[in-house]
Amino acid sequence: MKHQIKTSVIGSYPIKIEAKDLMYKYFNGNEIIWKKYIEEAVNDMVCAGIDIISDGQTRDPFIQIFTRKLNGCRIRDRTEIVNKVEYIKPITVDDQIYTRNILPNNKENIGVLTGPFTLASSCVNQYYDNSKDLAYDFAYALSKEAENLQKCVDLISIDEPFYSNELPEYSKELIDIIIKKIHLPTRLHVCGDVSKIIPDLLDMPIDILSHEFKATTNLLNKFNEYSVSKKICLGSVRSDDTKVESVKDITNHIKYAYDLFGEKIVQISPDCGQRMLPRKIAFKKLQNLVKAGDIINGR
Amino acid sequence: MFSFTKEQEIFNISGVRIGGQPGSYPTVLIGGLFFKGEPDFIRAKKNLQDMYHISKKTGNPAIPDFFIKKEEFVEDIINFIKDNIPKEKTFSIDIVDPEIKLKALEILSQKNLLSQTIYNSVHVGITEEEIKALKKFSPEMIIIVAFNPKDKSPDGKIEVLENGAHLTEIGLIEITKKIGVKKILIDTAALAPGDNSGASIAAIPVIKEEYGFPVGCAIHNVVEKSNWLNDFDSVRKPVDACSNINIPLFGGDFAIYGPIENANLVFPMIAWQDILISEYTENYFGVEPCNYHPRRKLQR
Repeated sequence: MKHQIKTSVIGSYPIKIEAKDLMYKYFNGNEIIWKKYIEEAVNDMVCAGIDIISDGQTRDPFIQIFTRKLNGCRIRDRTEIVNKVEYIKPITVDDQIYTRNILPNNKENIGVLTGPFTLASSCVNQYYDNSKDLAYDFAYALSKEAENLQKCVDLISIDEPFYSNELPEYSKELIDIIIKKIHLPTRLHVCGDVSKIIPDLLDMPIDILSHEFKATTNLLNKFNEYSVSKKICLGSVRSDDTKVESVKDITNHIKYAYDLFGEKIVQISPDCGQRMLPRKIAFKKLQNLVKAGDIINGR
Repeated sequence: MFSFTKEQEIFNISGVRIGGQPGSYPTVLIGGLFFKGEPDFIRAKKNLQDMYHISKKTGNPAIPDFFIKKEEFVEDIINFIKDNIPKEKTFSIDIVDPEIKLKALEILSQKNLLSQTIYNSVHVGITEEEIKALKKFSPEMIIIVAFNPKDKSPDGKIEVLENGAHLTEIGLIEITKKIGVKKILIDTAALAPGDNSGASIAAIPVIKEEYGFPVGCAIHNVVEKSNWLNDFDSVRKPVDACSNINIPLFGGDFAIYGPIENANLVFPMIAWQDILISEYTENYFGVEPCNYHPRRKLQR
């Protein structure tokens, strides 16, 4: 096949953080170094054969990664918003630079941003009059992170799972704020059942739509009811199930999607971040995803 | 000077009271033994006597903190504790290695010392085996070290207490309560200079107001790591001792002040500071100092 589909991940990868070792470092007065965990995640993705790789989001769950370093956010059981949300300094950029440095030349990396609506919906708002204003300030902060990221990544991916629960009328504008100054390809990942918001998703100002096409079985057919102008990142292995899909199963899934959307399918990936899976399972799923991709690409 | 709106816990261990509103009880001073080399028990005995002596003079309770760095030292150090720490006094055991912790807990239990023991410490590196051992051989009191490798600010310290910063399944306070120990001290985890070292002091009032537990830290560690002080060698020791006054000034309850040999310098300094605080907190907040407070003992 001439058209080549790339394998990708969504963001998180399950790496066990050795808190005991971190405490040894503290007691011995040594610097805490996180690179080891990024390396483990990146190496697994590279060894599995993935083309477009993330830093594994090993530092924190996807909300805290951002709220920990934004002004106005206070980390408690949930993040509390206690002041105006503002960008202070780069959040994920150093990790992405490190990821880029350890990647083989034929691999690409993704800058993953948790979307402003998901951030706003996940926090306890003690400052803003309404969650819309909060979401906008998150979007302005993330736009600065996106600008900084584009110097060291190949793709910017915005992760907005909350859009599948509730799509605010300003959803498109939030995405627009983030990507306004971005010259790289952009991807919007919304997991969950998005069948009711497909027209809105197709209208988003991004290049690639990424969804849970494997877990939400009828989603491909639902998309097929519309004229799909966007490129698609096809969720092809489940992130919520420890059963490892066979290569044949994944290949059939991709073929089915390809028959419907042809070259609009540009990436295949897990349905979502793999944080909740055991590492061995996550790795095996990526390996099978790559094998299925090779079959589809005629390698 | 502080007065907290949150009700403040006052814990009693072997007659030592720790906690409460600033100005009510004197700062508890925890002096370390056996940090370097092999344990020198003859010297340790003299140091203990000196610390107890000066503690009696100023009124600041003294707690020896026994650092056990090798498994082969466990039995001898605990025998020393058994022979030299009176039943009406408390002590803490300070161990980093989880394997040594398990062994020490078992021996402390065998020697009926757990009711006098302060366990130093529980932190995000706690293991399942350690939790099991602590449930079986529960010490009277536990120090939680609120070090958050992800966030060294006061908020980060609260995060590990609250939910373990996703490094433990639940927060460190809940872990300690589930072990069955209710007498909890919070160590705000002093950091090296240049690494947000002031946060361990700033966190004292924040954590006291949030939880009401007694709070302190080993702020002298920051002085030890301040290499620029090598050019001012004559003041290194006074600065080390003096750093501890930050703790009561910010409302703290205990100072892990470093080598026990520094007792002669640290106790009068902290007594002076406690008097200063007490004069204000009684005048302004109506907090009366206890009958053995340095203000009662030393200021006539």
